[in-house]
Amino acid sequence: MSDFVVRLLRLDRRIIFLLIALATLLPLLYPVSLPIRVSPEVQRVYDYIEKLPAGSLVLLSMDFEPGGKPELYPMAVALLRHAFQKNLKVLGLTLWPAGAGLAETAFTEVAREKGKEKGVDYVFLGYAPGDASAVISMGQDFHAAFPADYYGTKTADIPLLNKVRSLRDMQYVISLSVGFPGIDTWYVYGKEKYGFELGGGCTAVSAPRFYPLLDTGQINGLLGGLRGAAEYEILLGVKGKAMAGMAAQSATHFVIIFLIVTCNALYFLTGQARGRQR
Amino acid sequence: MIFWKRTFPLLLTFLLGVTFTVQYYVPHPASESLLTEVSVWGQIIGGFAILLGVGSLIRSHYVKIKRREAGWGYSGVMFLSMLIMLGAGFWSGGKTESTSFGWLYNYVFVALQGTMFSLLAFFVASAAYRAFRARTPEATVLLVAAILVMWGRVPLGEHLVSGVGYIAEWIMSVPNTAAQRGILIGVSLGGIATSIKIICGIERSYLGKD
Amino acid sequence: MSAEVVIGAWVAVGLSLCMYSFLYKDNPFFKFGEHVFVGVSVGYLLTITYYQVMTNKLYIPMTQQGKWWLLVPAFLGLLLLARFIPSIAWLSRISFAFLLGISSGVAIPRQISSFILKQVEGTLKPVVTIGDGGIAWLTLAGLNALLVLIGVVSVLFYFFFSLEHTGTVRRVARVGIYFLMVSFGAAFGYTVMARMSLLIGRFDELMLYASASYGYATPVLLMVMIAGLLWWERGQSQKT
Repeated sequence: MSDFVVRLLRLDRRIIFLLIALATLLPLLYPVSLPIRVSPEVQRVYDYIEKLPAGSLVLLSMDFEPGGKPELYPMAVALLRHAFQKNLKVLGLTLWPAGAGLAETAFTEVAREKGKEKGVDYVFLGYAPGDASAVISMGQDFHAAFPADYYGTKTADIPLLNKVRSLRDMQYVISLSVGFPGIDTWYVYGKEKYGFELGGGCTAVSAPRFYPLLDTGQINGLLGGLRGAAEYEILLGVKGKAMAGMAAQSATHFVIIFLIVTCNALYFLTGQARGRQR
Repeated sequence: MIFWKRTFPLLLTFLLGVTFTVQYYVPHPASESLLTEVSVWGQIIGGFAILLGVGSLIRSHYVKIKRREAGWGYSGVMFLSMLIMLGAGFWSGGKTESTSFGWLYNYVFVALQGTMFSLLAFFVASAAYRAFRARTPEATVLLVAAILVMWGRVPLGEHLVSGVGYIAEWIMSVPNTAAQRGILIGVSLGGIATSIKIICGIERSYLGKD
Repeated sequence: MSAEVVIGAWVAVGLSLCMYSFLYKDNPFFKFGEHVFVGVSVGYLLTITYYQVMTNKLYIPMTQQGKWWLLVPAFLGLLLLARFIPSIAWLSRISFAFLLGISSGVAIPRQISSFILKQVEGTLKPVVTIGDGGIAWLTLAGLNALLVLIGVVSVLFYFFFSLEHTGTVRRVARVGIYFLMVSFGAAFGYTVMARMSLLIGRFDELMLYASASYGYATPVLLMVMIAGLLWWERGQSQKT
């Protein structure tokens, strides 16, 4: 019995890999829909956009690269859909060089879906290098920070940017961030001095560290991980990739919980715990 | 020569550091104009800094090929991929929509980076099974908190045990916020101390070796 | 479905499976995929830097807006690259000094305001509220505020290593450790959530590319990969 338990404790990790793969694959093949409760921090982002009058300027900073796509791209799409539905004017950019392609794809696809016109309803500015310098530059003089948009068109010639002098003109800024630079960069070097309202979206791995900012109101809301994206899709009434992934998320979480509980039960069964206590 | 190699950079750091610390408290138009201009400069220099990282990578792979070190063929693959991407990039004028550059970005870069990061899912499961043991009271607290959060943040968990979602939310909003705030304050104090040391020339590691 | 999309699907699936082959063990397919990734990343970064930085932020302002003084930051940027030439590597110190001086100076007051003053302000919330109905002693909000205060103070005590952790300090630091353990547990839970989301995203795409419209890319290439790994494994065992 003891040998069997020890062998189980030293289980080949490839069996664990297979369990995780099946836990991910099966719910995607045979989806099960369960209700998802919307958390207050996601509701606050939704409510803020919902209350903005038509024509308000919203800046969406897609500060992520392909590694964060599964969690943050559905958020970007959901937020863009919401903003375009409300006839808000959206400015897009990214502080991460490898994210420029993804950000552009999100803007062009959702704009096409909603019949929005580049230069009039939205502008995509591309990659802004320099991290803190980029945010400060936008806060001081937006046209100096972006002499041209992503496509090389002079920003002075873009109708939507005629009324934009700096970040102070933004009614809402949302940073979807996978790390640094991201939400904290936008707060420390942006909102702190230029006074715009700031919302955030982030990968689940970085969500816990933004709760202090949420608590003090430094960010007005937070979409955390795939769950945050799914909650936003529910509020919008659109079934997107995030909602579709929640069944698999449930399954994988329970597999991990099962593995942790099992390994602890086996650990105590082997008497190793008793041996250490002596 | 010592002046230009050592003293001048330290003096420059000190002058700029003090200037921009004081600038924050001076709302005069001249001060704001200085910040505006310097932030644009910072963006341009930041762009060149990317080339620094890229250059180091290219140099190390070039040396590997030159010396025919183990695995040098893979370095050749790296260079070939880089040249193909660069070629497609310049051919497409840096545009990704409906171009070969965009095709490579979506079907090669995004696929590879996404897959690379997704490998971590398997390893986190394996590590959880092998190492996550309730050996001490502290480890038990960590384990219980982890299970409650994992259980409470998925629809199945909330469906099986009603109210667990609120428990997970409370864990994030209260004890997690408290601990993360303590860490944030501590790290910020450390960061500020380091910035002051850099400005005053006490911390000089950024200068590199003589 | 256009040919470029189908070919793209096959390429994406093939490269994804090369990366997933690492789950079996380190092998040439994984190394190939890894080096293609590095090459493509570098190529992409260089292209973006050229168009988004050199052209949009340097060339256009200088030539179309007359901002010729931007040659100064361009020169400072070039000085950064002097690091690669040992005889003039010291010139890069000027650029680093410029960057670090500004970033340190700019960071100090903003960090103090954002992460210290604002966070301390957020910690000092009323535990007891006085309203029309009298004094409210044990509200949930009040209890939570008290817990946050205790948590922040005890965690800061734990990290104060220049004070010896004995007596009262030790007891307070122990409380801080428990708050940290809860936070790390929550962070682990969220980390699991994040990693699984990445896997779900990839599997979702691989499933899409398994359909007839993409020529059954995933199952076909999966069989090819398994065959390839078996052939490589056989080669390895014959060598040993």
